[in-house]
Amino acid sequence: MRIGTLKETYIADAALFDSRTQKAWLAVAAALLVLFPFMASDYWLYLACLVSINVASATGLNILTGYTGLVSLGQAAFMGLGAYTVAILQAKVGTPFLLNILAGGVVAMLGGIVVGVPSLRVKGLYLAIATIAASFIAHFLFANLQFTGGTGGLSVPPASLFGVPLDTSFRLYWLIVPVTILMLLGAANLFRTRIGRAFIAIRDRDISAEVLGIPLLRYKLLSFGLSSFYAGVAGGLWAYFFRVVTPESFPLLMSIFFLAAIIVGGMGSILGGILGAVFMTMVPELLKLVFDLLPNSTEYTVFLSPVRTIIFGLLIIGFLVFEPHGLAEVWRRIRRFFHLWPFRN
Amino acid sequence: MLGAAAAGAASLMHPLSVLAQGAEDIVIGGSIPMTGVFAFAGVGINAGIQDYVKIVNDAGGIKGRKVRYVPEDTGYKVDVSVAAFKKITSQNKVNLYYGDSTGFAKTINPELDRNGNILMAGASFATELNNPQKYPNQFLVGPDYTEMFGILLKHIAKEKPGAKVAFVYSDSEFGRDPIDESEAEAKKLGLNVVVKIMTPPGSVDVSGEVIKLRRAAPDYTIFHGYILAPIPEFITQGKQQGMTSKWMGTFWTMDSSTVMKMGPDGDGFMGVMPFRYYYDTDKAPMLEKIRAMRPEYQSTAYIQGFVAAMLFLESAKRCLDANKPMTGANLKAALNSIKDFDTGGLIGVPITIRGNSIPVGRVYRADMKAQKMVAASDWIKL
Repeated sequence: MRIGTLKETYIADAALFDSRTQKAWLAVAAALLVLFPFMASDYWLYLACLVSINVASATGLNILTGYTGLVSLGQAAFMGLGAYTVAILQAKVGTPFLLNILAGGVVAMLGGIVVGVPSLRVKGLYLAIATIAASFIAHFLFANLQFTGGTGGLSVPPASLFGVPLDTSFRLYWLIVPVTILMLLGAANLFRTRIGRAFIAIRDRDISAEVLGIPLLRYKLLSFGLSSFYAGVAGGLWAYFFRVVTPESFPLLMSIFFLAAIIVGGMGSILGGILGAVFMTMVPELLKLVFDLLPNSTEYTVFLSPVRTIIFGLLIIGFLVFEPHGLAEVWRRIRRFFHLWPFRN
Repeated sequence: MLGAAAAGAASLMHPLSVLAQGAEDIVIGGSIPMTGVFAFAGVGINAGIQDYVKIVNDAGGIKGRKVRYVPEDTGYKVDVSVAAFKKITSQNKVNLYYGDSTGFAKTINPELDRNGNILMAGASFATELNNPQKYPNQFLVGPDYTEMFGILLKHIAKEKPGAKVAFVYSDSEFGRDPIDESEAEAKKLGLNVVVKIMTPPGSVDVSGEVIKLRRAAPDYTIFHGYILAPIPEFITQGKQQGMTSKWMGTFWTMDSSTVMKMGPDGDGFMGVMPFRYYYDTDKAPMLEKIRAMRPEYQSTAYIQGFVAAMLFLESAKRCLDANKPMTGANLKAALNSIKDFDTGGLIGVPITIRGNSIPVGRVYRADMKAQKMVAASDWIKL
């Protein structure tokens, strides 16, 4: 029985994984992630890759909104910047795919820094509206620049590793999931550093943070840059995954999707970004599977589809009403229950 | 959630479910938008495919093989469409597939090429898809958007040689699709494109654009890239400002119920339609069959889905007749062997499919008094 975690040093207190049990479970999770592609159908592999891309982007938004307190509705635009950069480099320059993805992240980061400039003056809803501009400007550029292929967009040749094209969900899994895990580790570590703590200080009270000596503009722009970098990398992975990038691939609704994901999952928590992205991507699919169990469901698809959409909407509302701290808090409560059992339940 | 988990675990074991299905079934998969912005069409498409499959199965199937239709709702989102494709193809040995959008058709194309066993058609009439080299396993159920413009321009050139034409289109992939090529085509036909106006897809206030249009004083104005709005605003304001232009649209605008929503100002609105309307009185045995099955009005999206299923299964039949395995390439070759094929009157003339499209259509005109679309031209083949 485990009733607490004894920490004897500051290093132990700040450790990323703080107990043996946690490390053991993480090892099990890693093993499952390795085994998954060999057991799963193409459909589940597709969903795993899609979830993984969404987790990466949601984590980026969580850095900005959850940890730094800056609301953004431009995440899809930054993903678009990353995706177009990758598409252009892959199709027209032919550089290695890892370099392309990195370049996608950097271009999105630069875009994010520009869009983040108003964050020093405006906050909350005002900033959200300012970031919407990013979506419109990006859409305009994608649709009207010659090298972006106009409204028809660009076809992306598959990434290839040692001559093997990464053109199936199985092969792409080995690119997308490890990159996402690296990004998650990066984000988790970020909040053990001075920069991450500065972000949290800005979120909690930006004036106090400034009094403490944190240069607001620099850190807010850094947060925008990091968040956009995550979006850009996620967009790059998206481009390799879907192999077609058009101006309509990254609508404003997609930014709302990511904002909803971190709210449902739990803002200011790495786990929250993961759980939120999984929830938003998987629940509609799981509802499909549940409805498939009904007799003659195919014949009634036309009636069942709207019902499914309504149930999904109600689930989101339900979570927000009954657990405003998100799924991460539910997870924490479950963990606490097991930690404290049988003394308290 | 437990049910979902159980279902999830079951579908992880996909190879078993594929083996378990009847090996003889001909399977039509479908990414169908039954919710979302395109649901108005998706519901009709779904019913059209479902009905034709029922007709074929009631008649004993194709060479004794039953046809199974497996649709999934997509909400008109590309990622959901792809998920539906993966799910359906993981659980069934799919031969034919109906896709819901240009985005999906383009995204899934590499997968179709790799899979090699599926022939696909769908709701998109994008010009880009009308390319057998780039999209060898796909086809369009009708003319592409440029060909739709071509049919309208041919009609205009015949009706009023040297006429002034305006193009009004939405700022979207859908809207911009046929514009450049059609301008060149208009020149070839001796027509004069006097103005091209692009608006945001959902624009409401178009007064500035109407003034621009009135100044150009076109004899014909062709709208493209919209379903309904802002077409009625253009027509109403244009008429109020004394414009005498004839107003025209393309397939997705031309469903009877859509045009009738334009109100009295929409009287005389014309457009291209590759299929017969549900209530057409010309001889069409298949239309009569549809009317017997469904006494209430069925949209042109329904007819489009019905014709798609008809062409799918005709290709499958030809493949089986020739004792060839139903691969994507064989199905496409079978489709391209279709010459002077009678669709039971759903398309008013016998059709021949040479490449990826069926470049034929007819100009219809709205008769608001009768609340019907009436033929304004003969069937025009490009």
